Amino acid sequence: MKAKHFLLSASAVLTIALFSCRSNSGSPDTKAGAMAEATGEPEVAQVTGAPNVPAPIGNRGAKKLIVNLETTETEGIIADSIPYTFWTFNNTVPGSFIRVREGDEITLNLKNAANSVLPHNIDLHAVNGPGGGAEATSSAPGKTTSFTFKALNPGLYVYHCAAPPVPMHIGNGMYGLILVEPAGGLPKVDKEYYIMQGEFYTKMSGVKKGLLEFDNDKAIHENPDYVLFNGKKGSLLGKNQIEAKVGETVRLFVGNGGPNLTSSFHVIGEIFDNVYLEGGSTVSHNIQTTMIPSGGAAIVEFKVDVPGEYVLVDHSLSRAFNKGAIGKLKVRGEENHAIFKKGK
Amino acid sequence: MFSTFRIYILIAAVALFACHKTAEDANNDGTTEQHTTTPLQNSHPTVNMVYIPGGEYKPFYGSDTALVQVPPFLIDERAVTNEEFLAFVKANPQWQRSRVKQVYADSNYLKLWPGDTTLPNNADPEAPVCDISWFAAKAYAKSVGKRLPTLDEWEFVAMADEKVANARKKPEYSNRIVDLYLQKDRQFKAVKKTAPNYWGVYNMFDLIWEWTDDFNSVMATEDSRVGEYDDKGLFCAGSATSATDVLNYAAFMRFALRGSLKANYTVANLGFRCAKDSNALAANKK
Amino acid sequence: MRTLFSLMLSVMLLLSCQNKKAERIAILPSDSIFHLSSEWHNQNNESLQLKALKGKTLVVVMIYTSCKTACPILVSKMKTIEQKIDRKAIDKVNLVLVSIDPDTDSPARLKAFAKDNKMDAPQWTFLTSNTDNTQEFANVLSMKYKKISPIDFSHSNIISVFNPLGELVSQEQGTAINVDQVVSTVSKTVKEFS
Repeated sequence: MKAKHFLLSASAVLTIALFSCRSNSGSPDTKAGAMAEATGEPEVAQVTGAPNVPAPIGNRGAKKLIVNLETTETEGIIADSIPYTFWTFNNTVPGSFIRVREGDEITLNLKNAANSVLPHNIDLHAVNGPGGGAEATSSAPGKTTSFTFKALNPGLYVYHCAAPPVPMHIGNGMYGLILVEPAGGLPKVDKEYYIMQGEFYTKMSGVKKGLLEFDNDKAIHENPDYVLFNGKKGSLLGKNQIEAKVGETVRLFVGNGGPNLTSSFHVIGEIFDNVYLEGGSTVSHNIQTTMIPSGGAAIVEFKVDVPGEYVLVDHSLSRAFNKGAIGKLKVRGEENHAIFKKGK
Repeated sequence: MFSTFRIYILIAAVALFACHKTAEDANNDGTTEQHTTTPLQNSHPTVNMVYIPGGEYKPFYGSDTALVQVPPFLIDERAVTNEEFLAFVKANPQWQRSRVKQVYADSNYLKLWPGDTTLPNNADPEAPVCDISWFAAKAYAKSVGKRLPTLDEWEFVAMADEKVANARKKPEYSNRIVDLYLQKDRQFKAVKKTAPNYWGVYNMFDLIWEWTDDFNSVMATEDSRVGEYDDKGLFCAGSATSATDVLNYAAFMRFALRGSLKANYTVANLGFRCAKDSNALAANKK
Repeated sequence: MRTLFSLMLSVMLLLSCQNKKAERIAILPSDSIFHLSSEWHNQNNESLQLKALKGKTLVVVMIYTSCKTACPILVSKMKTIEQKIDRKAIDKVNLVLVSIDPDTDSPARLKAFAKDNKMDAPQWTFLTSNTDNTQEFANVLSMKYKKISPIDFSHSNIISVFNPLGELVSQEQGTAINVDQVVSTVSKTVKEFS
């Protein structure tokens, strides 16, 4: 009885102490994840290539996760059957989408492919710790490194390679997004997609005919040849366009790898009902165009009311019309003349 | 009955013998061999050493004004080849694939070699040897009466292009090297097939990354006397603030590679060449 | 006759197996630091190879005695670690300080340093060698160091724990090394090997 009493008062004191810590910090939303204890055996997290995202975390508790990423240097198509030497996480640009919950304890294993020429690493903006993991994960060709971090702050974060010369590693496509969902998860929506902008500075390879590679001079002058969604011209056009039905809510996880340009992300014909500004916890409403800095992200949500083709652009429009920053959301369903009606 | 008996004896003998072997290994811990490296001087008539007069040079990492004095030295005109390394492991069995200790070389050591003293079938004997650790490179250098070049020595030679000793100021200097660096599988090509640089040294950039003696001093800065070791030099904006030439992307790549290494690492495109103090040459000539 | 021989053979085989087991413990793992053949001197000016340290859990740090900045912090960390190790386990632990400045750090100097810092109990070992061996050992620890002036070195700050077979168990890095983490690793390792 006595013991029980003690326990009760102890836990009361603890709760108060914890609570006071929280209010002292001045940002009640951040660091809350630190209090959750990650439990159970580590599980390998499912990751996806753009435009797909892994299933929502839902209402689970914090757990231990293993995220496996491989860095590669590989030829791919940048536009109109033109090859480019991309550097990637998991062979895609952007790299795999990682989805975790605040409080999760994540062990990140970074393997650098054996046939890589260069060392690579990973800096996740979701990490509290030196270099976001970059120092701990510097991987020579053929080597695997790892580190473990606790996801303290919910939000949508960019990750990227931070091996020098950093602009070159990012400029070749080494970036992706990691979503840290708050406890309880994000509100349910009907469709979720992963879009990441990045610009490419190219020149003809001095060694292999027809192949494009990174041009340092253009990068320094911030004068890209391509500004692209998901690493390829047309990656969200034609049969690759993303889709939704009238009445559905759509959530886009939008990141900007850069390495240099800020994106003015806009969906032509839609208004964002909610924007998690800069990927953080502040939700703004009724936004037409949201600014996504290089090395930043935003979550945008909107309900699609009327069928049609909605064009995704960087509203710095020369990039959309001349350099490739354009995609499409196809919405099918019944017309709703109360909302939109074409005149005669 | 008789034949079974014979087999029994055979088995017993084998078992005993196996035990005996193990006991022997256990007694010497495998360390005794490490101590002596069999010299190989005579088996290497083909590699010329190039005299580099040295001089002042500006290291890639450091303060803008601090020049480093590089004393005169000799450097191999080319990297150590498959063939040469094969001769080395034949003479020094402790450096053979199956016998090397992991403290000296990771499990990928000479991984393409089908056996301890066999080069890969399709390997050019004249191609630079790769998949070797710093310890192995150092042991090789010692066996031929040389040493590994220091970082400063290597970088001093690397300033040259075909025409001048210091080409760093030329706008195309770094870009040309980066172009070479980006080619995959170039480590399988033979040495000395491309033009030498100003000093007469071949293949500084077009075949492999190279070990240097003090590869692990990459991130040391003058500030480190205050106690915190400056690792930041190699990450993010930090790398741009401590580098003396932020346009030299080739150097960034080289130093990043060095920074990712540990001495027992073996990497598919990482080999080495040897160097020597220049007074050692004078002594030899006498 | 046949039965007798089979019996004999079985005994022999059994014996040989047992021998093997005992030997396996004696055989060093491939990644053991006791394979290093470098010659060192301790603070008593005794010559030794690292394998002389076999059989105890090792806590290893590289320092130099004339260092005025990071090394005193490392030395003080080592002392705290030593104090926090269970007294019953202390004879199964060897705390090893390896000099990165062999030109200055003679065995006599190390001996004096040990005495001045009250690190002269039997569980303390100080080692010095030559430049080559020091460089090799630093590389085994993946420790980065560079001589930046005749009297000063810049170096990474690492405290490593090795098991009694010379295999690396853990490394803690930086001047903010968590001492309790090291102590807990040491206790676990001692338990595992006793």
